[in-house]
Amino acid sequence: METRRLVLVLTGIAVVLIVVIGGLSLALLAGGEDSGGSGGGNQQPDGSPLPERLEGELRLFGPDPITLDPACAADAGSAEYIVEIFSGLVSFDRDLKLVPDVASSWDVSDDGKTYTFHLRPNVLFHDRSRRVTAGDFKFSMERSLDPDTQSTVGDVYLDDIAGAREFADGKADEVSGIKVIDEDTLELDISQPSSVFVEKLSYPTAYVVDRNEVKGSTCFEGGNWTLKPNGTGPFRLKEWVLGQRLELEPNSQYYLDPKPALSRVTYVLSGGSPLVMYENDEIDITGVGINDIESVRDPNNPLNKEYSETPSLDVFYIGFNAQQAPFDDPKVRQALNMAVDRDFLANDLLAELVLPANGVLPPGMPGYNEGLDGLPFDPDRARQLLDEAGGPEILTDVKLLASGQGASPSQVLEAVVAMWQDNLGVTVTVEQEDFGLFLRDIDQGTFQIFSLGWVADYPDPQNFLDIKFHSQSGNNETKYASSRVDSLLDQARTEKDEQKRLDLYRQAEETIVQDSPWIPLYHGKASVLTKPYVKGYFIPPFVINNLRYVSITE
Amino acid sequence: MTYAEVPGAALEQLAVRPAPSFRVLRRLARRPVAVIALAVILTVYLAGILAPWVAPYSFTDTDFQHRLAGPTWDHPLGTDLLGRDMLSRAIWSAQTTVIVSGAAVLTGGLVLGVTLGLLSGYAGGRLDSVIMRVADAVYSVPTILLLLIITATLRDKVVTVFSDIEDFTGIHGLVSSGAPSYFLVFGALSVFGWVGMARLVRSQVLSLREAQYVLAARAAGASTARILFRHLLPNVTNLLVVALTLSLGAAAGAEVALTWLGIGVQSPHPSFGAMIFQASALTTLRAHPHLIIVPSVVIASLMLSFNLLGDVLTDVLSPRRR
Amino acid sequence: MQGLASYITGRLLLAPVVLLVISFATFALGRYAPGDYVEIQAGTRARPETIERIRHERGLDDPVYEQYGRYAWRALHGDFGESKRYRGVAVEDVIFPRLWVTVQYNAIALILTFGIGIPIGTWAATKRGTWLDPLAIGTFLLFASVPVVVSVPALQWLFAVKLGWLPTSGWRVHEFFGVELGIFSRQIILPMLILTLPGVAGVARYMRGQVLEVLDQDYVRTARAKGLRGDVVVSRHVVRNALLPIATILGFELAGLLAGSIFVETLLGIPGIGLYAFESIGSRDYDSIMAIVLMGSAAFIAANLLVDIAYGFIDPRIRLPGAVRP
Repeated sequence: METRRLVLVLTGIAVVLIVVIGGLSLALLAGGEDSGGSGGGNQQPDGSPLPERLEGELRLFGPDPITLDPACAADAGSAEYIVEIFSGLVSFDRDLKLVPDVASSWDVSDDGKTYTFHLRPNVLFHDRSRRVTAGDFKFSMERSLDPDTQSTVGDVYLDDIAGAREFADGKADEVSGIKVIDEDTLELDISQPSSVFVEKLSYPTAYVVDRNEVKGSTCFEGGNWTLKPNGTGPFRLKEWVLGQRLELEPNSQYYLDPKPALSRVTYVLSGGSPLVMYENDEIDITGVGINDIESVRDPNNPLNKEYSETPSLDVFYIGFNAQQAPFDDPKVRQALNMAVDRDFLANDLLAELVLPANGVLPPGMPGYNEGLDGLPFDPDRARQLLDEAGGPEILTDVKLLASGQGASPSQVLEAVVAMWQDNLGVTVTVEQEDFGLFLRDIDQGTFQIFSLGWVADYPDPQNFLDIKFHSQSGNNETKYASSRVDSLLDQARTEKDEQKRLDLYRQAEETIVQDSPWIPLYHGKASVLTKPYVKGYFIPPFVINNLRYVSITE
Repeated sequence: MTYAEVPGAALEQLAVRPAPSFRVLRRLARRPVAVIALAVILTVYLAGILAPWVAPYSFTDTDFQHRLAGPTWDHPLGTDLLGRDMLSRAIWSAQTTVIVSGAAVLTGGLVLGVTLGLLSGYAGGRLDSVIMRVADAVYSVPTILLLLIITATLRDKVVTVFSDIEDFTGIHGLVSSGAPSYFLVFGALSVFGWVGMARLVRSQVLSLREAQYVLAARAAGASTARILFRHLLPNVTNLLVVALTLSLGAAAGAEVALTWLGIGVQSPHPSFGAMIFQASALTTLRAHPHLIIVPSVVIASLMLSFNLLGDVLTDVLSPRRR
Repeated sequence: MQGLASYITGRLLLAPVVLLVISFATFALGRYAPGDYVEIQAGTRARPETIERIRHERGLDDPVYEQYGRYAWRALHGDFGESKRYRGVAVEDVIFPRLWVTVQYNAIALILTFGIGIPIGTWAATKRGTWLDPLAIGTFLLFASVPVVVSVPALQWLFAVKLGWLPTSGWRVHEFFGVELGIFSRQIILPMLILTLPGVAGVARYMRGQVLEVLDQDYVRTARAKGLRGDVVVSRHVVRNALLPIATILGFELAGLLAGSIFVETLLGIPGIGLYAFESIGSRDYDSIMAIVLMGSAAFIAANLLVDIAYGFIDPRIRLPGAVRP
């Protein structure tokens, strides 16, 4: 061919380009070229940001936290890092028991309004510059409450404290209820007795921060100290390369037992499929999703030995706008409720990754009522109820508001909507919004039906029932109001006898389930794979520091 | 997602003289590639347009007993996670593609692009400057980012407008039919879709403006509109045919991309973007490959057909290359 | 060339105006979008009145033009604000490392696109009339017709899961003299490949067209008639004359790459600018959105200007309005 030479030259250029670039990248790999083999591959992770694995290093997959400032953490994702780096007066241990943390003990006055915390003398900041004193706690808590800090959650967890409201409104220079008795003693006065006040102090907003470091920073400005924070927790932040990796190293002067045993914790912040990264030994722990659960449960699968499940303290539900027609009619709510087959959702669609929810409280929560049946799946009864309430016509143009991104809502919601269609002849469309917008619409009550989950802050039924169903609670999105439930919840707030208190909650839950402001769908489980050399790891049902219990054994 | 810049430069080699249409068709028919491409396009489009009659099931019909099933006589392409028939969903998705890409290309490419291009090229002067500077500005923004922001901002408002229309006219089901999200997607695509076409038309008009027959028409006192649409437009039709063909393919791809990001057509209205989204997680792909194969094959063959057809048309319509 | 010079000056003077318009439009669109970063990040427990107070203090309920004025004033003084996704980090400190990640694999993809497209196009043109021409172009058209959201999982499955040759996802770097380079890790191959393949068809098609065009020119016919060998003609006259116009589709290819990056980075978990842009819009991280859009626009304006200059050299008659005015 007459043009062969030209073609050769041009192809040559292309080949050289490909070879140079492709070959260079392949050839200069840091050694670990392991041809793997089909069906899974087995490479060493290459590249320096995940340097040589240290002995005793744990590798996890995690998204970047939004903030590492304890005063500002409003999401569980941020809190998970913060609880490892910082610490507060109290915390939950691995048995989910509330235990003293920086405080060594606390006393409560007889009227239940004054708490005196005795601090450990040996708690140092990570940089060893000084010990933590009662004054640091006063500073940190006031900082969380300070309107200038612009924390969206500071007041939520701390405004039981006397004088907190005045301070948060800018009417006082300090919080009168936070008193520094001496370096080792902190007194907190609360405006009225509360059975859960100390529990709330386990949340990051009450954690201690280094005042020399945070000075003047708010939740939205000047927070660059969080890139290298000086905390008091079991681990210290060694390095955070945004979007790539976050490394923790153990705090050698940590004051509680067990002390951290890992030599390093590396969170891999970038990458696609955690399960595949786990199979390739890039991370040591991963969750298992719906697509793989069956193969992982297969006893012949080698991964099966690494699989474990723990129930979480949470509930996922569909809520109704109980103040707005037609959902102000309990019959409509009950009809929609009884048309949903929870067992199918939990056991088939979600392949037993979750437990069907009969009531509000998850198993494992004090006061959980095993005998509670909830409203059964009964399409005939559901149709009958709906007819009594006015028939399917009253449910035209109904929208279910959900949070989410991407092209389609969750399979669960699509299935629920399909069940309503099949069993009641009611067409409901799902509308998705970004999580924050969704919450705003929920707060403003501009919705008909919504779906949401609730995760425990602390293991107490108050955290579910009082917060979600008391007619005066700010978190009662459904605006459900029942005088019977209110009075039961009010009694429970001040009841000192634990058994009686739980019993009151049990009665309240039964009424709530019958009135059906929610359709409780399911309770989550953490389904994880853990490498056999990782010892002591557990997924807590809510955010607590758990890495100090973990060790690596080869 | 390169919709904004339709085929552009590549078309400028097209000759301006239109070839008689029957000869073009005959030449096309002699190209097997063109015939196959046309057949694919027609199949997808017809399936989409006739979806209510062709699709064996509704796109929301679920069958919880037969989830994730492979091909059977009842479900020739299998079922998805909720037991919905994949064939029906693909057919309904084709309808979405037809509506959105058709509307986007018509408004953005044809109406806006051609008109502005003709005006800009023929009138010249200040008007030309203004149009072209606006085009430059539109051209210089990162399109997909702006699309993301625009749809995020306007979705609520568009829905409100549509429900107002419903209340005002008494027509029901406008909102629940998904009209707002179709409107939003093709509207957003149009905003960025006209630039390529306008530039193309303008450059052709510029080279024709001083042609003998245009000068003659002008001397004979023909109005501007008449010169534009009677004398200039017919001479850029070759170009238009090819550009439209290619834009239709590009717009179909753009719709998939937008929907995949969650800013396009909203559930439960089916679309290829949503089908791909549900199936594209690596673990889903590994466990149930048919979920992604069905929508991908349809959308890829549609886009390929448009591209091939565009290529053949370029060849056929260009007299210089027989 | 005087027309060209004044044209370029005009365009350069116009650039700030265009940027201003774009920045205001983006800003207003962002602010009119439902919700803002305070509301979105407030968390499930936050109280509505607290959120409202913070929004007010941060000026998020002021009229848009006031907010824009404040933003513009700050930006002109070099303060682009702090990221709200990475609270406490200046926007530029988040964006530049991410931009660097994206630029690396995009640049290589761009080089490869042209490096493969040009020879393929030329070759196809010389094979015109045989079945090799449509086959070559058609093959690459097929790659161009597969949406990125499909090709990513498909290639991921093929190369990482099935064959086990490449890591599935992520981004790894090696440090050379303090510069973090990702181009020597195997993680870059997948995104590079995915961005290269769809672009090749465009370049090849265009090149083919150009070569055919030039082959038809009188001087080429003359050269042939004078008895020059075919490949000499092609290499000496044709390719040289066809290569200049090819520069004009650079902008086109670049835009395609950047759009593709959003999908590639989302699907492969690459911490680049595309993923960050997507996240920023979702979380109403205004300062980040503004910075990214402004930077992107400036880059496109520059690229388009270069393209226009190239056009000016090729055919000043058509492209430069100053030159055609009667």
